[in-house]
Amino acid sequence: MGVIDKIPVPQPMKFILNWGRRYSLWVMNFGLACCAIEFIAVTDPKHDFIRLGVIPFAHGPRQADLLVVAGTVTDKMAPALKRVYDQMPEPKYVISFGSCSNCGGPYWDSYSVTKGVDQMIPVDVYVPGCPPRPEALLHGIIRLQEKIAGEDIREKWSGKLTQPQEPATTG
Amino acid sequence: MASSRSPKSQLPPAEIADRLRAQFGEDVLGTEEVHGHAVVTVAPGRYQEMARFLRDDLDLAFDYFDFLSGVDYRPKEAGFEVVTHLYSTRHNHHVRLKVKCAADDPRCPSLHEIWPGANWHERETWELLGIEFDGHPHLVKLVLPEQFEGNPLRKDFALMTREAKPWPGEVEGEEIEE
Repeated sequence: MGVIDKIPVPQPMKFILNWGRRYSLWVMNFGLACCAIEFIAVTDPKHDFIRLGVIPFAHGPRQADLLVVAGTVTDKMAPALKRVYDQMPEPKYVISFGSCSNCGGPYWDSYSVTKGVDQMIPVDVYVPGCPPRPEALLHGIIRLQEKIAGEDIREKWSGKLTQPQEPATTG
Repeated sequence: MASSRSPKSQLPPAEIADRLRAQFGEDVLGTEEVHGHAVVTVAPGRYQEMARFLRDDLDLAFDYFDFLSGVDYRPKEAGFEVVTHLYSTRHNHHVRLKVKCAADDPRCPSLHEIWPGANWHERETWELLGIEFDGHPHLVKLVLPEQFEGNPLRKDFALMTREAKPWPGEVEGEEIEE
């Protein structure tokens, strides 16, 4: 990564870099079920997550910083989700939106539903609800931005943090 | 043609059942009327023949294959049942065909030759319930992952999560204590 790898980043510079990154999140919507409708509501003027710096409809996973898994992931869909995640460039973040992608939700005993996307990809923020209200996603995004603000950019860009880690949850 | 499209050409469920009885006699194992539709149970040997008759008879003219599915009646009753929903766009009437299948090695003739739309419905019923459709040209998995083992809609299919945590509510077939 050049100079950032070689010298410790001074705190003011770290702040500015993280400040820039957290208010410019291109989001990839992995919408699969009713949660995707709530996600779309967040893009609308009433809730409007662009005011938080979240930019919807990235042209593809290769242009996205944030992946929102909104809905029921099935075992057949899971490889496609993994592939989308793998295409995203570092640094990347994942919000698991709704009970189904958190843990299987009402399909906890189903033969076909994946019981939580964190089995495949590391999740930064879990948003509970079935489906969660749009405000819940806004809250989840703010929690994610707090997390980004506290990050060491060297550590994040090294890619070491894409291993499963201790997640933050919305209140 | 114009008169045959009028509402008068719609046959009441009892009339549909009577016509099938007249044509197939003893091979019509039972008829009933449910939700305004005729429901006809047919012997497996004449299932295809009856389907063809329903399609080709001008007064019946079931030209639209609506839906096909299977039912697992075990353990209360023996075996499976294949249910076919048919609709006539010309006469605006419905019929449901039912065929019983054995509990071990359930088999049923395929309707693919009569309505190509039956193809995917039979594949789905095959993978979910394990009912073999004789004469189906391409009986491979449709919606399940390729490596999936078992027939998940069968009642004896073991759900891994329920092995770990039993279903908290009532279980079908168990007596409710009062």
